[in-house]
Amino acid sequence: MSTVNYEPWTLATILTGGLGTLAIFSFLVRENRLYRIFEHLYIGIAAGLGLVVPIKNYIWPQILVPLLGYDVVQYPDGTFSKVYDPTNLLYILPLSFGCLYYFVYSRRYAWLSKLVIGFSLGMSGGLAFKGFFNEIIPQLASSFKPLVVYHDGALDLFRSFSNTVFVVTLLSVMYYFFFSFRRRARFAEMGAGLGRWLMMVCFGAFFGSTVMARMALLVERLQFLLNDWGAALRYCIGL
Amino acid sequence: MSSSKVGMDLDRRWIYLLVLLAISLPLLRKYSVPPARMSAAEKVFEVVESTQLQPGDVAFVAIDFGPGMVAESLPQAEAVVEHLMRRRIPVVFWSLYVLAEPFLDSVPQRVAERLGKEYPGQSWEYGRDWVNLGYRAGGGLLLQSIPKSENLLELFKRDARGNNLADLPALKDFRRLEQIKVLGEFTGLQGMLDAYIQFFQKKGFRLNLVHGCTSIATPEAFVYLDSGQIVGLLEGIAGAAWYSELLGKKFPARLPDSSGVINTGLGIAHIVIIFLIVVGNLSSLARWWRQA
Repeated sequence: MSTVNYEPWTLATILTGGLGTLAIFSFLVRENRLYRIFEHLYIGIAAGLGLVVPIKNYIWPQILVPLLGYDVVQYPDGTFSKVYDPTNLLYILPLSFGCLYYFVYSRRYAWLSKLVIGFSLGMSGGLAFKGFFNEIIPQLASSFKPLVVYHDGALDLFRSFSNTVFVVTLLSVMYYFFFSFRRRARFAEMGAGLGRWLMMVCFGAFFGSTVMARMALLVERLQFLLNDWGAALRYCIGL
Repeated sequence: MSSSKVGMDLDRRWIYLLVLLAISLPLLRKYSVPPARMSAAEKVFEVVESTQLQPGDVAFVAIDFGPGMVAESLPQAEAVVEHLMRRRIPVVFWSLYVLAEPFLDSVPQRVAERLGKEYPGQSWEYGRDWVNLGYRAGGGLLLQSIPKSENLLELFKRDARGNNLADLPALKDFRRLEQIKVLGEFTGLQGMLDAYIQFFQKKGFRLNLVHGCTSIATPEAFVYLDSGQIVGLLEGIAGAAWYSELLGKKFPARLPDSSGVINTGLGIAHIVIIFLIVVGNLSSLARWWRQA
């Protein structure tokens, strides 16, 4: 007899989770209706959550509550917890501007939505421009590595080798993508070839780590099925 | 079936079954082998271990993973949060990823319960030991506004439970970016770490940014570790397992978590895949040899 006591809601969640996992895994045997149902269910839940959470966590508490004055409490003696801040009304401006996006559904007023799209594009472009420099400049600086490294007065062979591999990889891969003029010299062709091979090594590492990530997902799901779902099933049938 | 055809005409469902059986065995027996040493994970451990607090200092933990990434990101986040809580560093949770919202509550709650069992008589409580800011919309724009803010409590205003942040003991003296002693960012999403690196910074102040990534993102994350833009890295479940091992060494009474078992299962899955790749290649070579 199982010693664990489940709350009804927790039990239902675990059982549904296990059923959903098995339904999705059933695709490995063959395409089937159960798989399709749960695939659509997952997409629907993700889309619904994506809509509800921003409203619940951001638009309502951060914008609408102060705007509508719901954070001002009236005490029994008729006084208020605080004075309504009229600057909260300024929230109406960005809210209204953002709502213009929905004119994308109107043929006549679709141009209004383009104002919002243009604003978003401009803002994203500016952010990306700034972000690019913040991210890349330190990486550029760190790519200037000494090929011979001394540590406590002695030659650090590992660091020296590591830095040499880094610099050779950086230069050869950059040279591979240098298409401004035709490479004629044999040495230049070899450098580009080396860059290509080193990129293959990198792609191999990416592929290996992708397999690792997918397997980790499988292990986690199996662990859930064997431990949590299995225990919940045993509880249900009274074992 | 001739030996040269093994791997060519084999129904792929036999391979699935083989992988399933190989992984299930250690999980059923709860068998776990000691994880490999990960030097990048040790750096995360050292950062948390060496953090010295002044009044008002906190750690920020960005939980930017959803249900599809829990296998690797959840054990990472739990291990680092556990270490922060053991050191009584107030932790502020938040997320820029909408599907991460349930984990902002469940991660600290589970860690607090776990620590409560380990240390009877002690407690880890909401408001004093951790705060949940919830999901925040705005992405890069919001991140950019944080370093510019002179009073972060004014910027964030309320937590996910509707409390005024200034009323919470953990954030009573917290105001500025410089008071964030550690920022832990856990995600498997493309571009999320980039956003923190690009915008969560201030001239003259370098944040201790540690990162937990899924295995897919590991090769890319090393670029940031090499350039010093992050100061520590947990590489997939292997990083979480090694961090958990370090916690076990530091706190011998610690109860083992699931990362060791998952890591062992993953190791066995890798052996099976390597075996299948070798068999497939040998069978291909044998076929080529016969045809030649």
